[in-house]
Amino acid sequence: MNGAQYIVNALHQQGVTQVFGYPGGAIMPVYDALYDGGIPHLLCRHEQGAAMAAIGYARSTRQVGVCIATSGPGATNLITGLADALLDSVPVVAITGQVGRDFIGTDAFQEIDVLGMSLSCTKHSFMVTDPEELGAVIAEAFQIARSGRPGPVLIDVPKDVQMALVEAKPVMHLVDETAPLCDLALAEARRLLAAASKPVLYVGGGVVLADAVDELRSFAAITGMPAVTTLKGIGTLDPASPWFLGMLGMHGTKAANLAVQESDLLLVVGARFDDRVTGKLAAFAPHAKVIHLDVDAAELGKRRAVHVSLQADFKQVLPVLAMPLQVTAWQDHCLTMREQFAWRYDHPGDTIYAPLLLKQLSDTLPENTVVTSDVGQHQMWVAQHMQFQSPRNHISSSGLGTMGFGLPAAVGAKVARPQDEVVLVSGDGSFMMNVQELGTLRRAQLPVKMVLLDNQRLGMVRQWQELFFDGRFSETILTDNPDFVCMASAFGIPGETISRKEEVAPALARLLASPTAYLLHVSISADDNVWPLVPPGVANEHMLEAKP
Amino acid sequence: MKQHQVTIFAQPRPELLERVLRVVRHRGFQLSAINMAPQSDCQELRITVTVASERPIQLLLSQLTKLIDVLQVDTQALDVASQEAFQIRA
Repeated sequence: MNGAQYIVNALHQQGVTQVFGYPGGAIMPVYDALYDGGIPHLLCRHEQGAAMAAIGYARSTRQVGVCIATSGPGATNLITGLADALLDSVPVVAITGQVGRDFIGTDAFQEIDVLGMSLSCTKHSFMVTDPEELGAVIAEAFQIARSGRPGPVLIDVPKDVQMALVEAKPVMHLVDETAPLCDLALAEARRLLAAASKPVLYVGGGVVLADAVDELRSFAAITGMPAVTTLKGIGTLDPASPWFLGMLGMHGTKAANLAVQESDLLLVVGARFDDRVTGKLAAFAPHAKVIHLDVDAAELGKRRAVHVSLQADFKQVLPVLAMPLQVTAWQDHCLTMREQFAWRYDHPGDTIYAPLLLKQLSDTLPENTVVTSDVGQHQMWVAQHMQFQSPRNHISSSGLGTMGFGLPAAVGAKVARPQDEVVLVSGDGSFMMNVQELGTLRRAQLPVKMVLLDNQRLGMVRQWQELFFDGRFSETILTDNPDFVCMASAFGIPGETISRKEEVAPALARLLASPTAYLLHVSISADDNVWPLVPPGVANEHMLEAKP
Repeated sequence: MKQHQVTIFAQPRPELLERVLRVVRHRGFQLSAINMAPQSDCQELRITVTVASERPIQLLLSQLTKLIDVLQVDTQALDVASQEAFQIRA
């Protein structure tokens, strides 16, 4: 077999059952091998869409997402997706074609130094210069992508390597190693937990990557610790649990932020003190001792000094740390805050209030619906006002904050979980960034349900301009948006526009009843902002709840 | 700014030095000296860098250790006294 056939065969043996990509000159041998079947391939309409579909596929399941692109512009178009996967620790393997080995370094047609570009946006990357290395490289790439803290891995394959004869050796499967727990640190962590009177559990996406949601929920139930999550941690804890206070950080709930600020102990599980979480770092949880658990040792002590750190597999460590805590007064205080500062949905006038619409949508969705979102105001409203029973049901570009993520991520999620409803919530700015993926929905006949919140603004930037730049709305007014329903119809996707509160419930019913993809275009006020908001440079207790 | 000498043992790859230098720069460390040489058996490369930063050296070491091709990272602080001692040994 040739190198390209070997690659397809090796992907198959790694358990890959779906790939996303876009063909081109330097990857043609691989597409020729795919033509013979073996692994279904979905043609996206831009390589960035293929990378983000692979991310949606990976995040909605526990599988490695795979995307394929050609050399030069195909590979550069993947880069934003790889960066997104790096910042959100998503296991993705990207395979790019490269010009033939003799042409590398000659500025050949569609040649760019992809390996060089990959250094800052992948967990690791390879260029295969010897056809006989293909097997080892692919096995290692999958192992690196999914082990420890997962991440994207790129394999750049010169065209002549794809065409070279390769001996069909059995494909290797590499096994992960787990490190033993440190008894001293465990004992100290247990001592700090037992001594705390105001402990808070601060949970991030690492719990999802470690597949430790059950262990976390069991730990939370045994300890009764009031708990908060990051954007990526949404869905790890049961939203109905009385001790769950919601998301913390810049647009977190008031209860979550105040509890963290008052706490005397933070148990941090798979989170990394991101700047959008901490606000002013020096004033974040100022009275708290910190126990930090993470699989990535480089996160321990990176932003906040810790009292105990454990590089650990959460499935192992959480059961060891679980013990009932005597913190009734603190629990009562947090519960009071949760009730006192619960979301309110009273909104004057006839225009649609997006947070209320999203709450109605959340209450209506079938069990196990996957919701993907884009980036901006609507993303924060989804995080605030929709409830998720599983973190794999909430897929949002968190670390990189990539506008245009939502539609291709929904494509990947729907391909991965055809039996589950998949809903995209997007904004008019984000939607336009990868709108070509409507063509992918059509091609694969994917019944993705789309809710487009349209305020004819780049809303989050507009909000900051209103609050912090004297209302100088520089390049954020989009009153020249296209007719979105008409555009969807060009791809054979039905849709409708609503603009009044009374239209919401029946329109949501039509959206969910549609057997095909459907666009619900929602016209909302340009003036509605995301609250609360912690302004830049201040502590999280100084959140704004309205325009000052 | 504190100066440190960091020694990195790694699998030889064409892009290894780029990976190491990118991490040094991106994580906020200034490079003032560098040496790279294969170990005697040619199975490993040894890269020695002298770096300075206001940031704790541990932040750099933990990121270098994460590089897939890196096998081991050692460091020593270079205050004035130890710099002299180092020069004498050299």
